[in-house]
Amino acid sequence: MPLKWVFNWQPNAGSTVNSQILNEVSQCVESMNGVKEGRWKATLTFYKPMLRDQALAAEFPREFIGISLPEQPNKYYFILRVNKIVLEADSSIQLIMEKLQSYKSRVALNFEGFQYQLGDFQLRVGKVVPTHSENLRGIVMEVEYLPISSLEKSKLIMDEFVDIWQDAVSKRSLPGHFMHIEPNFSDYGLADHYTSQHTAVQYAHVMGQLIATVQAVQAGRN
Amino acid sequence: MECVVQGIIETPYVEALEILLQGLCGVHKQSLRVHEICLKSGPNLGFVASEVRLLCDLEQSEPTWTVKHVGGAMRGAGAEQISVLVRSMVESKASKNVLRLFYALGYKLDHELLRVGFTFHFQRGAQITVTVSSVNKMLKLHATDGDGPVPVTPGIQLVEVTAPATSENYNEVVAAVSSFCEYLAPLLHLSKPGVSTGVVPTAAAAAASLMSDGGGTTS
Repeated sequence: MPLKWVFNWQPNAGSTVNSQILNEVSQCVESMNGVKEGRWKATLTFYKPMLRDQALAAEFPREFIGISLPEQPNKYYFILRVNKIVLEADSSIQLIMEKLQSYKSRVALNFEGFQYQLGDFQLRVGKVVPTHSENLRGIVMEVEYLPISSLEKSKLIMDEFVDIWQDAVSKRSLPGHFMHIEPNFSDYGLADHYTSQHTAVQYAHVMGQLIATVQAVQAGRN
Repeated sequence: MECVVQGIIETPYVEALEILLQGLCGVHKQSLRVHEICLKSGPNLGFVASEVRLLCDLEQSEPTWTVKHVGGAMRGAGAEQISVLVRSMVESKASKNVLRLFYALGYKLDHELLRVGFTFHFQRGAQITVTVSSVNKMLKLHATDGDGPVPVTPGIQLVEVTAPATSENYNEVVAAVSSFCEYLAPLLHLSKPGVSTGVVPTAAAAAASLMSDGGGTTS
């Protein structure tokens, strides 16, 4: 499948994310002749262990994430970042987890927005909001390069595209920038040929950055 | 959910059963070699203990993994009257690191088995699967190859008839499974799991008859 990079919006120190930034970013894509194609949505769920003795919580994974991706509607992904595990399963694995009653959903977030086509690139810009709420928690962007599946071979063209994109965004003087940190996929046993498991890992890492940003803001306030 | 019945057959009559199934189903058998790993939640995990099975299909050139959860059986007067067990069952295919994931989540190995035999999949009022297998235990951890596995019940094979069902159609599926089981009655008796009915005395004669006429229904 075509490879993609997932970005998250990193607000400047002292500023927070807001829907005006999301509007500006969307306008930016359209000003580059991006053709709006429709909506997309991914859902990320944090699971927590159901423990008989909370004192033993340290023995269990602190961050256990499940993700459903629009590119694979019949699949579900589990990620344990600490253990460097990404699992691909059928969607029915969620029902199995429910029946096991050993982990339960603690919080779920939707990544949702619009998809745009720009030549050989597909862009998805979306907001990060908790399910059942409209509280904006972040902004994400996927840049997908349709002709190539190799991470290595596409690096140059992706870098070039991202340069042009960052340039366009920077002209709007927004209080922040898009950040892409590529996880070390080989730690997860993933190869150079891109798969949806790579996407799942990227979302888990983006989530880690979002949490770190929120924590930094809160620490700044305190 | 699924409908299920089980029975046992002595190994010398398995070939006759295969001929009978071939004749009844009109499809070819598929070889079965499945490594089954049963995991249980660690002592502190979950308000109640839970159990999950990981099945590794060793027949494929690249082994494939399935997570299987078997839940409680349907209860009540209606459920007791029928001869087929109706229980909740959920399966999900998974990537090969699924055992690592469950260990990391706090599940522990309870036991493991190797099932070797064959299956028939066919449509007969329901999507029925008949599995005939010998159940083996491994003398060393995960040693499914070579001389490692030894039969748990030498000379006896397990026969399982299952069919997927929903809360809307299980009555029809139960009927389809029950009526199919009657065809196998001369060779083995099938009943709800856990209700052992042993081998049937007519097996030897029925097998001899099947072997002599090559599997066509006897006239």
